[in-house]
Amino acid sequence: MESELIAALLAGGLFATVAAALLSSKVSNSLIALFYTSIILGVAFTAYGDALLGLVTMITFAGAISVLLLSVVLITGESKLDFGPRRLVVAAVPLAAVIGGVSLVALFSGQAGGLAVTDSSLGVLSFLWTLRPWDLLILVVVFAGAMVAIISLLGGED
Amino acid sequence: MVLDQTILLATGTGLLFVGIGSISVSKNLLKSIMSFQVTVFGANLALFASGMGFGSRLLSDTFVVLSVLVGASVEAVGLAIIVVVYRKYGTLNPDEIRRLRR
Repeated sequence: MESELIAALLAGGLFATVAAALLSSKVSNSLIALFYTSIILGVAFTAYGDALLGLVTMITFAGAISVLLLSVVLITGESKLDFGPRRLVVAAVPLAAVIGGVSLVALFSGQAGGLAVTDSSLGVLSFLWTLRPWDLLILVVVFAGAMVAIISLLGGED
Repeated sequence: MVLDQTILLATGTGLLFVGIGSISVSKNLLKSIMSFQVTVFGANLALFASGMGFGSRLLSDTFVVLSVLVGASVEAVGLAIIVVVYRKYGTLNPDEIRRLRR
């Protein structure tokens, strides 16, 4: 029961910080809320036994991406955020609640049993494990592509 | 464990849809990037939760790490595009940028 309470607290914290990040009209408040969202997500991964994943999430999003966002805010000098029609943003919250509720009902009634990864589905996906060394190559290619794109975007305008 | 998995799966799905909804109504490119980050968070949490409760979680963990790094790369490129667009047009409002292009 204790772990369910932790899950509910983490879920509540995530929704609260995301709502603060997306509904705030000040950039600084949004950035701070997004930073806390990253931290809570990292804590959730760590609490459920995956410390490495939590660390990667915190370093990548709470560390690198937050600083990157802050740099862009300083470069552009934007201080106010226009988040579009407020009614539509507010309408997204009940929509998310409905979808979450439907998925809860589906899981509890057993209709969504096919969502779960079973041993047989792992057998079907076993080809992924034979290609594990390619994971690193894919990541290196993605990072290199991103760096080349950023350099060409920022360096080629003069 | 099943209830934990359900709560986290529902939270991940909810964050995913909130992020997508916010991207579609946002009137600021910076806000769109922040909404994209929320979408990535939701996807990561849903992927992680889908692998809970089984003997080996390595498959879902692999996908989450891949998703984190690809999401971070995409976000970095998006921020670079925002800087270029701001230098060229002086605004981050997509409607205003579209008007200035004409």
